[in-house]
Amino acid sequence: MLTSLILLPVAAAVIVALVPSRRREMHLPLGISLSIAPLALAGYLFWVFEPAADFQFVERAVWYQPWGISWYLGVDGISLPMVLLTALLVPIALGASTAITVRTKEFVVYTLLLEAGMIGSFLALDLFLFFVFFEAILIPMYFIIGIWGGERRVYAAVKFLIYTAFGSALMLAAIIALAFNHASQFGAPSFALDDLMNLDLSSGVETWLFAAFALAFAIKVPLFPLHTWLPDAHVEAPTAGSVLLAGVLLKLGTYGLLRFNLGLFPEISVDAVQIMGTVAVIGIIYGAVVAIVQPDLKRLVAYSSVSHLGFIVLGTFALTSGGLQGAVIQNVNHGLTTGALFLLVGMIYERRHTKQIADFGGLQKVMPLCAGFFLFMAFASIGLPGLNGFVGEFLVLIGSYATLPVLAVLAAFGVVLAAIYLLWAYERVFTGVPDKEDNLALKDLSVREISLLAPLVVLVLVIGLYPAILLDKITPSTEAVLDHIEATTSFVAPPPGRIGDVVVMEQATE
Amino acid sequence: MIVTPEVSWIAIAPDLVLALAAAAVLLVEVQWKPPSRILGYVTAAGLAAATGFSVLQWILVGDAVAAGDEATLLAFSNLITMDGLAVYARVALLIATGLGLLAGWRFVEGLGRRGAEGLALVLLATTGFSIMVASNNLVMMFLGLEVGSIALYVLAGMTRERAESDEAAIKYFLLGSFASALFIYGVALIYAGTGFFAILDIRHYFSEFVVTSPAVIHIGLGLVIAGLGFKISAAPFHTWAPDVYQGAPAGIVGYMAAVAKIAGFVAISRVLLVALGDLEVTWLPVVAGVAALSMLVGAILALVQGDARRMLAYSGVAHAGFIMTGVVGGATDGVLFYLAIYSIQLVGGFAVVAVVSGFSGARSSIDEYRGLARRSPGLAACFAILLLGMAGLPLTSGFVAKFGVFSDAWANEYQWLVVVAVLASVIALAFYIRLIVVMYMDEGEGERFLVQGPVRWVLGVAVSATVAWGIFPASLLDLAADALPL
Repeated sequence: MLTSLILLPVAAAVIVALVPSRRREMHLPLGISLSIAPLALAGYLFWVFEPAADFQFVERAVWYQPWGISWYLGVDGISLPMVLLTALLVPIALGASTAITVRTKEFVVYTLLLEAGMIGSFLALDLFLFFVFFEAILIPMYFIIGIWGGERRVYAAVKFLIYTAFGSALMLAAIIALAFNHASQFGAPSFALDDLMNLDLSSGVETWLFAAFALAFAIKVPLFPLHTWLPDAHVEAPTAGSVLLAGVLLKLGTYGLLRFNLGLFPEISVDAVQIMGTVAVIGIIYGAVVAIVQPDLKRLVAYSSVSHLGFIVLGTFALTSGGLQGAVIQNVNHGLTTGALFLLVGMIYERRHTKQIADFGGLQKVMPLCAGFFLFMAFASIGLPGLNGFVGEFLVLIGSYATLPVLAVLAAFGVVLAAIYLLWAYERVFTGVPDKEDNLALKDLSVREISLLAPLVVLVLVIGLYPAILLDKITPSTEAVLDHIEATTSFVAPPPGRIGDVVVMEQATE
Repeated sequence: MIVTPEVSWIAIAPDLVLALAAAAVLLVEVQWKPPSRILGYVTAAGLAAATGFSVLQWILVGDAVAAGDEATLLAFSNLITMDGLAVYARVALLIATGLGLLAGWRFVEGLGRRGAEGLALVLLATTGFSIMVASNNLVMMFLGLEVGSIALYVLAGMTRERAESDEAAIKYFLLGSFASALFIYGVALIYAGTGFFAILDIRHYFSEFVVTSPAVIHIGLGLVIAGLGFKISAAPFHTWAPDVYQGAPAGIVGYMAAVAKIAGFVAISRVLLVALGDLEVTWLPVVAGVAALSMLVGAILALVQGDARRMLAYSGVAHAGFIMTGVVGGATDGVLFYLAIYSIQLVGGFAVVAVVSGFSGARSSIDEYRGLARRSPGLAACFAILLLGMAGLPLTSGFVAKFGVFSDAWANEYQWLVVVAVLASVIALAFYIRLIVVMYMDEGEGERFLVQGPVRWVLGVAVSATVAWGIFPASLLDLAADALPL
C-alpha cells in the first residue's frame, strides 16, 4: 500500500506527460483529478492506522544485497500526518496554479513527481532510500522555482539547490559511515533505520555524524543562520511552489531531526539540547523580528516560517512528551496555515501583480472574503485558542519549559511577535480606506479559490477544537522516540509532560 | 626458466577481430569505394563479433574461476590475461566504441572518402586499448597504450582543414607522447627494482620480499601514476584535456574521452591494486592526493567555462578524481561500475554537443544552448538527464556509481577523501545545473535541432542506461563485482 502511495503520483505524472502539449487546457484539471487518488489512499491510510509505537504497513524488498540496501517503507505516528498533509496540499497547490499558462504540462508533471519524492521521504525507513528521495525532491522543486518563478527566479532556484545539496552531501558521507559502522559491528552493512539505531558508536564518531545530519536538516528547516535561501526561494517561487515548499519541504528538515538525529544519535541529542534549543529560539525571535519589517507580503510570510519552524525544532529538542507531540502537530499546523497564507498572497498577487504591502490598503472593502480568510489564517498562525496553532505552540511551550525553561520563556515572545507582524500586515493591507485606484476594482475570491481554502479552514478548526484526532496517532510514536533515548542514555524525560508517568507516580503515592 | 609460448586464440579473439575489421574497412574502401554506409556495416560486424567473443570469454572466465584453475586464463607466456577485469573492461570499450561511432556517424560521413580512415582509426584505437586492459605485462600494457593513443592523436586531427583540430592533435600528440615516455620510464624503473615486467610476478615479488631500499621502485611508481594520470586526465596532468576536447571533431570526442578513461583506469587498477597491492601504504596517499586535486580542480574550473566542451572536459577531470576515489578504496568493483556508467554518459553528452554545435565544428559556446528546451524539448531533456546523471543525483546511475566509489574509499579508511568528494560533487552539481538553467530557464532564439537516426539511438541508450541503472543497478553492480583481476 505504501509503495502504491509513492507510485500513484508517478503514474499520474506519466499520464499527464502523455497528453499532447497542445491540449494545454487539459493538463491542470487532469493533474488535479489524478492527485486526488494519492489523497484518497493517504486518507484511507490515516483511517486504518492503529495508534501504536511500531511502524505499520511495513514493506521491504532487497534492492542490492551486498550493500545492505532495501526498499524499506513504513509509517508511524510521526510520518503519517506528514504523508496526509503532502497528499492534501498537492491538489490544492495545483488548483491554485491557474495563473501558470506557459509549459503547464511540465509544471503539473514536476509537481506530481515532487509529491512522489516527498511522500517517499516520509515513508522511507532505509537511510539510502531516504537520501534518494530527499535529493530527488530538489530537481522538480528547482525547476518549479526556476521556470515559473518571479524575476530573480534563476538566482533563487540555484541558491535553493546548492544550499540544500551542500547540506545533504555531508549527510551522505554520514550515512555511508553509519553503514560501515554497522558492517564492522554486525558483519554486514545495513542502511535500515532500525538496524542502525542499535549501533554502538563512540561519542566522537557520533558527534560528527550528528553534526552532518543536523547540518543537512538545519539547512532544510531552515535554522538561523542557514536560512538565507528561504526568503529568496519563497518570494520567487510560484504560489504552488511556495505552498509545497513551506507546507512540506521544510518539514523534511524537522522530520529528519526528529526521526534521524534523535533516533540514531540519542546521546549526542541529549548533549546538544542546549545548542539546538538556542539556535531554534534565535530563529524564532530573529524570523519574527525580520518579518515585522518586511515590505513584501510574501517575504513576510516566508520569514514567519523561519520563526514557526524554530518552535518545531525547540519542541523536538526539548525531549519531552509535550515537546515532541507539539513538534509533530506543529509540522501539520504550519503546513496548513502557512500554506493557506501563501495561497492568499498568491491570489492577491494574481489580481494586483504586486506583493508590496505599501501598494495595498483597505482591501477589506473590496475583497471581504479574502480579508476574512487572511485574518482567520493569521489567527491560526498566531496561535489563537480554538485554532490549530494554539495546540501546537502550547504543547511545545509547556513541553520545553520542563527541560529548557529559559528558552521556553524567550520562545513565548515569538508568539507575541507573530501577533505583531501578522496583524500589522493585516492592518496595512486590509483595513482603512481603499485609497489606491488600482485596488478599487479588485474582485473578491472566486468559488474555485474558496474551495481551495475551505478544506484548510476546516482542518484548522478540527485540529484546534479536537486535537486528539491527531495526537492519538502521534503520541505512541513520540513516546517510542523518548523511550529509545531513555533506554540508551541516562536521560530521563521530566514527568510533567508525561501523563503516563504522572499516573504511575500517583499510584505510587497512594 | 624457459616458458613455451602457448597460443590461446580465444584470449585475443576480440582484439584480433577488431584489427581485422580495421584492415577490412581499408581494403573494402580501396577495392570498391563503397558508400560509407557499407563501411559502417563492416565496422559494426567487427564490433559485434568482438563483443560476441568477449561474452564467450566472460563465460569461460566464470567457468575457470568456478573450477579454481585461474592459471588457464593466462596466455602467450603470461603476456595476456583473460580475467574478469579484462573482459568487463573490453565490453565497456566495445560499447563505448559502438555508441561513439553511432553518435559520430555524421562526422564519419562528413569525412567523405577519408571516412574509412576514420573508422579504421577508431577500430585500431579500440584494439590498442583492448590489449592494454588485458595485458598482464607492463611492456604489453605500454604497447596497447601506444597503439590506442596514436590512433587517438590522428583522430583528434581528422578534420585537418580546421586549425583548431590541428592544434588539438599536435597538443595531444606532444603531451601524450611525453606521458607515454614517463610511463615507460616508470616501467623500466620498476623492472630495475624488481626484475619483473609481468604484473603477477611483481605482485608475487612484493608479497615474498620486503624491499629495503625502495627508492627506485617509488620513483618508477610515481612515473607510472603520472603517465597513466595523463591518459585519464587527472589533475595535475589534465592541462591538455580542455584544448583537445574543444579542438577535436565534436562527433568523435566523446568516444575518445570514454575509451581513454576506461583503458587508463583499468590499467591503473591493474598496476596499483594487483601488481603493487602490497605497496599500498606508499601509493595510497599519493593517489588520494591526485584524486582530491582532480575533483576540486575539475569541479572549480568547470564552473567558469563558457564553452560546453571545455566544461565537459573539466568535468572529466573531476570524474577522474571521483573514479580515483574508488581506486583509493582498494577495490575494482566501484571503479568498473563507474567507468561503464560514465563512459556511456560521456558519449551521450558529447552526442548532444555535436548536434548543437556541428559534428566537425570546434566552438560550442554555452550561449548556443539558451532556451534549448523550447526549441528542441527532447534533446534538452536527454541532455538534462545525462547532466544530472553525471552530477550524480539520486535515481540516476551516476549516484549509484558515486556511492559505490565513496563507500569503497570510506571502507579503506579514507574518510577525508570522501568528505572532499561529496563537497566536490556539490560544486560539480553547480556547473551541470548551470547548463540546465541555460537550457530551461533562459529564453533564446536559434535553430530547432532535429535529432536524427543514429544519434537518436545513442541518446536513447544513454538516457535509459542512466535512469534504469539508477533505479535498478543490481545487474550491473553484480557484473562489476564479478569482474575481478587475477
